[in-house]
Amino acid sequence: MNVLLAVLWKDLLSEWRSRDRVVSMLLFSLLVVVIFHFALPPGPPAQAQALAPGLLWVATLFAALLGLNRAFALELENDALSGLALAPVDRGWIFLGKAIANFVLIVVVQVVTAGAFGLAFGAPVLAHPVGFALVLGLGSAGISAAGTLFGAVAVRTRFRELVLALLLLPLLVPVLAAATRATTVLFETGDLDPAPLRLLAVADAVFWISSYLLFEYVLDE
Amino acid sequence: MNATAAVISVRGLTKRFGPVTALDGIDLDVRRGETLAVLGPNGAGKSTLLRLLAGLARPSRGSLRIGGGGDGDASASRALARGGVGYVGHATLLYPALTARENLVFAARLYGVDDPAGRAGSLLRAQGLEAVAERPAGEFSRGTAQRLAIARGLVHDPAVVLLDEPFAGLDRAASERLLERLRDLGRSGRTLVLVTHDLGHASALADSALVLVRGRIVHRASAEDLEPARLEAAYLARVEAAS
Repeated sequence: MNVLLAVLWKDLLSEWRSRDRVVSMLLFSLLVVVIFHFALPPGPPAQAQALAPGLLWVATLFAALLGLNRAFALELENDALSGLALAPVDRGWIFLGKAIANFVLIVVVQVVTAGAFGLAFGAPVLAHPVGFALVLGLGSAGISAAGTLFGAVAVRTRFRELVLALLLLPLLVPVLAAATRATTVLFETGDLDPAPLRLLAVADAVFWISSYLLFEYVLDE
Repeated sequence: MNATAAVISVRGLTKRFGPVTALDGIDLDVRRGETLAVLGPNGAGKSTLLRLLAGLARPSRGSLRIGGGGDGDASASRALARGGVGYVGHATLLYPALTARENLVFAARLYGVDDPAGRAGSLLRAQGLEAVAERPAGEFSRGTAQRLAIARGLVHDPAVVLLDEPFAGLDRAASERLLERLRDLGRSGRTLVLVTHDLGHASALADSALVLVRGRIVHRASAEDLEPARLEAAYLARVEAAS
């Protein structure tokens, strides 16, 4: 547990000092909002609102990819990744520290992006705050767990950005589909649809548990 | 355990990266308190040997035991072995955005040290780094960063310290200072394994040496063979014969 907190503290402090990940993620996701705001043909507000959940999750996914790539690239500087791998602990705790740090950054970016979608598309992001927070949290948890594991796998490869996208995107299809569906139903009816939430919960559990167990081997050379 | 017991014991250690055999059947014993220099040309497998000893990589074949932990493949056993080893690599393992003190506190927390802040403070004093303790590591010169890297490697007071080219990139004055610090480490009873290209540093520090070429040990030098001229003659002859 102490190792989890140490890694979380280190990642968030480094990011607070540099702000390079969160700024690039925010710029990308806000750019998506602006581009789609001007690219979509004029139509009734309901049409724009119907597109907002899908666009929100696309923006979240690609912004997260930017941040996840950078998360482990930072560990390559001065070979700090070896410093983590040398720690005489269950490496699953290192995974948890990094994954929670990634989760925090993704959620921060997602909250700002959701606000921008609310303004640009009239999406009712503040109408059901508890339900919306639940959907955002479950979706981001899946992205950060799988993204942290595969970020560590990809970081030592030559084309790490490409490798991470190739490994991660197919795996995240269930998470994205369920998160988009749950967000759409929430915006349209104000209710939480249990079917996509169940799928999100199961996918999250699978990603977090398997990543915790596999991280021991991922850090080996 | 008595003073002559092997604190590092390696048998038939082999490491392959795809079709490339980086290490091929290495047998090695290092006694408690001994300083071993590992010499060899580029690509000989020196750094691979050190990273295997540190627990950063798994052997393809053979066994490796360090101190009280570490044979076999069990995660807990490997973690135990890593806890007894300090590693100072080519790179410093430091986070540039964190200060010197924060880097040491973070490392101490990774190793489960009881009082991370206190330990960081004492290491900063010991390495003469108190004046730069609150500066980000990314601003340090190579020499200062290397002193901090050594402090990081000692944060959990390991019995075995592995050093991979610690003199690389240092000027003459910084090299002399580092040499003295490594002598102090040796005198403190720690077991040192030093990978270096510099035969002079090996002669000055080591109790024994081995020469690796293409993943195999081609020469073992005992204390009496470490006189600089003698070591250089043996090194050149063995490397040329094996290349």
